[in-house]
Amino acid sequence: MSDTAHQANITRRETRKPGDLRPEEWTRERWEAAAPLDPIPPGKSTLMELREVHKRFGKRHILRGVTIDIYRGETLVILGGSGSGKTTLLKHLMGMLRSDEGRITIHDGSNRLELGAADQAEIETFRKRLGVVFQGAALLNSLTVLENVGLPLVEVDRLPPGQVLPRVTEALRRVYLPAEEILQLKPASLSGGMRKRVGIARAIIQNPEIILYDEPTTGLDPVTVNGVNELTLDLQAKLGVTSIVITHDLDAAFKIADRIAMLYLGRIIAIGSPEQIKANTNPVLRQLLTGATQGPLTEAYLTAAPGSAAP
Amino acid sequence: MTPRRQSTIWVDRFDRSTSIRAIEAMGGAVISRLQLAGRTTLLFLEACAQLPLVGRSLPTLITQLEISGVGSVLVLSLIAFLTGMIMAVQTGSELEKFGVVNNLGAIIGATFVREMGPIWAAVIMLARVGAAMAAELGTMAVNEEIDALRVMSISPVRYLVMPRILALVIAMPFLTILADWVGMLGGMSVAVNMFNRPSEEFWTSAKGILSGLDFYSGLGKAAVFGGIIGTIACDRGMNTTDGAEGVGRSTTDTVVLSVIFVLLADLIMTSFIQVILKPVMG
Repeated sequence: MSDTAHQANITRRETRKPGDLRPEEWTRERWEAAAPLDPIPPGKSTLMELREVHKRFGKRHILRGVTIDIYRGETLVILGGSGSGKTTLLKHLMGMLRSDEGRITIHDGSNRLELGAADQAEIETFRKRLGVVFQGAALLNSLTVLENVGLPLVEVDRLPPGQVLPRVTEALRRVYLPAEEILQLKPASLSGGMRKRVGIARAIIQNPEIILYDEPTTGLDPVTVNGVNELTLDLQAKLGVTSIVITHDLDAAFKIADRIAMLYLGRIIAIGSPEQIKANTNPVLRQLLTGATQGPLTEAYLTAAPGSAAP
Repeated sequence: MTPRRQSTIWVDRFDRSTSIRAIEAMGGAVISRLQLAGRTTLLFLEACAQLPLVGRSLPTLITQLEISGVGSVLVLSLIAFLTGMIMAVQTGSELEKFGVVNNLGAIIGATFVREMGPIWAAVIMLARVGAAMAAELGTMAVNEEIDALRVMSISPVRYLVMPRILALVIAMPFLTILADWVGMLGGMSVAVNMFNRPSEEFWTSAKGILSGLDFYSGLGKAAVFGGIIGTIACDRGMNTTDGAEGVGRSTTDTVVLSVIFVLLADLIMTSFIQVILKPVMG
């Protein structure tokens, strides 16, 4: 091969995306590296911008430079194995944790809010744009379904009871629950799937702009999982919200996502459309997608501190 | 000489590193306790700052008053009555030897109004309500219910903590009045039935020794004990981690820490009342 041809070959290889590498070209350094940021597609605008976000708890380095753009109106699924830092990342997006380094910027028209530097009042204003569906629904057990779903309306919006009931009934109908029958029930009387739906109803009752889902399908039977997935798509279509879904449920991810990001050892190592993720040759993704017991994910589990991303 | 010197150096090094580790461990323990105390104090102050919004937490306050106050009446009455009887039996037997059993009312009355009433009310409140409060808030923390409140921009301190602490502060003086009266009633029943003393003598003797300061200082102490128990229970509950095991740990911590701080506060307040207030107020 001539020098010129060789040089052209190298240049071609360097301009390939990391996900296009052949299996034998992958090294630990490459599969652990942060995925490069793609240019913003035409017609899309950035809602949340994360740049080099780091978080440590004592000696444990949980987030190690998360960089990602979240577009307005999309459904972004963040995949990751246990201990990869998914929940820590979600808590940063809710404004419940502040990063040690890096920044999270929220765009609202011409206004920008730096979550790390925001005061409590600014964070609370931002949270009014946010609905969160917690893993276990996080309903208050001492309250009825009506009181749970109507809680933000009563406590934050200070609406009178006469205005709360119709809004709660409407929210419950949106998530396909028989409002009249369950309004006065306590969460303990509901099935897991119904509790999850009540949690979603509470998350959407203030018409949020962003909905965060923390493992929405964990612990549910396949029929209910499908129901929750369809509900997520339905809300997306009807309300036009930006949805950020944290999960390790692959079926759910490929069904609902516009884009999928893979979080590994506290970094986004791959991001793209479901088709791009399926075609990605990164061994971490391959192991997650195939469920192989040997591979980088297993190594991370074995070296990880309990309840955290690997050190 | 050489081996001995090496040995000495090794021992020196061993001693130094062991001492440093011990000092580090002690320092770490002290710092973590101070942090805990600071966090609990801040929670109390934050709850006080939320007091102007008590109207919005009225339903929770009423529920908590019902749980802590009304729910404790029966068990506190029973325990105070039995304690009054036991004290009267023990004390009366000794007083009878010296022929001064007519002073039984003074002793039982002073003991209950100054100390036993507030302390028994605190013990019952801690066992019945404080531990349950820590477990309830701990379970809420583990189930992310407290995170959910924060995300909805609802202050957990305003919604959960302030009404609970306030309910204990309000309920404790009333429970103390109940414990005082029922305890003395128990003592009187022994004086009448075991030592054949007239009931008027018992009450006259009690009234003779008790002052308004004794009564009101007992109520003041009770309110402070309520604040201590409520704050510790809420702090431990809200900061629960590690699932069911963590909930158990928070409950135990609440009981142990509350007993220590209630007794410590009692010592400080009693000393203040006896040494400073009583001479001034006569």
